[in-house]
Amino acid sequence: MAEYSKLARGKFTSTGGAQIVNLPFQPDYVELFNFTAAGTAITGAAAQNKVPHAWWDAYMGQGTAMEEVYVGATPSVLQYDTVAANGISTFAAGQLLQFGPTLTVTVLSKNSPAAVTTATNHGLTSGDVVIFEGLFETSTTGMPQINGIPFTVTVTGLTTFTIPWNTNQSNYTAISVGTTGTPRVKKVLYPYLYFPGQTFISAITTGATTTIDTTSAHNFVVGQEVAFRIPSQWGTVQLNSLPNLLTPGSPVYGYVIAVTDYNTVVVNIDSSAYSSFTSNPTVASVPGLSYPQIVAVGDVNTGGVSISSGSVLYPAPQYSPIGTTLVSTINGPAIKGAFVNNTSQGFIVGIGAGTLATSSILAGTAGDLIIWHAYLHDYSNP
Amino acid sequence: MSITTTGNLGPMILQSLAPAMLYVPTPTMNYITVCDKVSMPTNGGTTCRFMRPRALVPPTIQLGNSGIDPPAQVPQRDIIDAQMAFFGTGCIINEQVILQDQEGVLAWVSERLAVAMRQAEDLILRDYIVSAASEINAGGGSNGFNPTNLGMSDFSLVATTLDTNNAYKFMSGIEGMDRFGTGPVRSAYFMLSSTELQSDFDSLVGSGFLNQWNYPTNASALPSEFGSAFNIRVLTSSEAPVARNAAINNVGVSNDVYYNTVLGKQAVTHIDQDGYSMNLIYRDPYYSGMLAQNATLAVKFAQAQAITQDTAIRNLLCTRLSNLGV
Repeated sequence: MAEYSKLARGKFTSTGGAQIVNLPFQPDYVELFNFTAAGTAITGAAAQNKVPHAWWDAYMGQGTAMEEVYVGATPSVLQYDTVAANGISTFAAGQLLQFGPTLTVTVLSKNSPAAVTTATNHGLTSGDVVIFEGLFETSTTGMPQINGIPFTVTVTGLTTFTIPWNTNQSNYTAISVGTTGTPRVKKVLYPYLYFPGQTFISAITTGATTTIDTTSAHNFVVGQEVAFRIPSQWGTVQLNSLPNLLTPGSPVYGYVIAVTDYNTVVVNIDSSAYSSFTSNPTVASVPGLSYPQIVAVGDVNTGGVSISSGSVLYPAPQYSPIGTTLVSTINGPAIKGAFVNNTSQGFIVGIGAGTLATSSILAGTAGDLIIWHAYLHDYSNP
Repeated sequence: MSITTTGNLGPMILQSLAPAMLYVPTPTMNYITVCDKVSMPTNGGTTCRFMRPRALVPPTIQLGNSGIDPPAQVPQRDIIDAQMAFFGTGCIINEQVILQDQEGVLAWVSERLAVAMRQAEDLILRDYIVSAASEINAGGGSNGFNPTNLGMSDFSLVATTLDTNNAYKFMSGIEGMDRFGTGPVRSAYFMLSSTELQSDFDSLVGSGFLNQWNYPTNASALPSEFGSAFNIRVLTSSEAPVARNAAINNVGVSNDVYYNTVLGKQAVTHIDQDGYSMNLIYRDPYYSGMLAQNATLAVKFAQAQAITQDTAIRNLLCTRLSNLGV
């Protein structure tokens, strides 16, 4: 019987990282076939710990999986194994302000970009967004200036990552082991449910055009109309849109003329004569410190996302979590730069390792062709 | 003498259904209340477009006596686009439930679906505003967190910001009356806050916060209105956005961060498509399998949203003065 069951299938090419699969439902059973791994010669070191077949049922619990994994060198043989963490899980990205587990920060260096070390494995993927809390070295020193700001991470190791902020400045003191504060970090689970929106600014390069760096993905497109909110501690207050002295009451906006990457855009405002931006506020200023922001207020576009190789004829709006990577939403087509809803649900294939074959990776290695089947059953007992 | 008790002659049917259903705790839906409403036409594509003209430069320079016209101005406008999205949910109810259950299951499930839909509209608007409106951290409080708890200066700062931006207020002022304990109320914007902050508002009463019951007349007060401060009237709801434990101070104590949305008229617009804002769909069991066992009840709606006056909205972030103790 399958009157109300939901069945879906698809494929993706592994990036070596976690893979999000959007569906119109949250499955209770997922099966993966790594076609590339299955076709790899089963002898030799390269074949070891490849996972040609894995599956997950909701009865196993979120973030787990069972897998068949190649073990042994010559010849490799298939062995059953389990994945205890970062396996397969479902998600319902429908509401904001949800966070992952809180992790202790042991090191936050004075660098640009700032480098972070966590006490335990962070489980993050490049492009994830985090916020920090309690970044005090002592009660009066540390880096509390960046508490609460959402940062996109670039993962550099199991317990390390970097964030796009220059902490190598006079008012920042490094967080290190033995710090008397309680520095913590946690993942923002669904940072881009609605876009474009408001984003914090990490740097501004003034000139004939103005280049803006943001702390997380701006998700702007060329033609986006933007406004600025720059509190006085941060310098470039002339970008603020009100009041316009020439026409009192009329806001001044800029337009994005180039998108460099996920956190850099160029705006058509001549800021040559404007004050320099500084990201070096004092620790003493922190209670009540507001952050510099760039806000989407409109667009001048008339068409949607352009067709590209492999895309549908009328592609959905896209967002860019990191680099120049573009991720399509589940929507139909829309004007580029429109306010869109990016809520979604489905399942995630994690980068968990086997309990026995500890160097296996469920999500495969970069380039692997992975075919998936997902089900939501009519009837479960119990 | 033997006494017949319910121990040896109990009623044949032990329970009786009370005549009225109990209420379902439901948050006040403030976000949908304060939004502008626009209906996108049928066959209108996927995206709703708004146009706002820009002001022309006022001609404050005299013409003189040259007889030469001044240069013409080029009118400009801002364009705001919002993409429509569709939502829905439903229940599959076996006919045995409908036949055998004592109360009208289809009636109350219909009601719950309708409330779920309205709540979804409100939550979507809430989260959209969190992601798209610019933020000001409260600094007028004394708790040492960033943001601090709300102080009166925070109300003043946000009201001043919106006034300077020439935002339109929602409410006219309430003139003072000769009634004991009351005070006049300014013309006001709305601030959408959490019920968890009500004790903080109470602590500001002596500093200038006016409880709703201290208005000269509360004829214009909304049901969820808690009070006012300067040019802001505060509406509270338990579903207002809050980031739990998102702030830790310099002695390791954590606090929740609340998003208080302060806005004027037309700041946010809620868009439906051709009245597609509420479809209650009932399909009787006839459509279900060869034995026609299951009925379905569902709702669906279309919604887009846009910040249509970005200068007339701010999220004022704050923490609490003290722990809730709940």
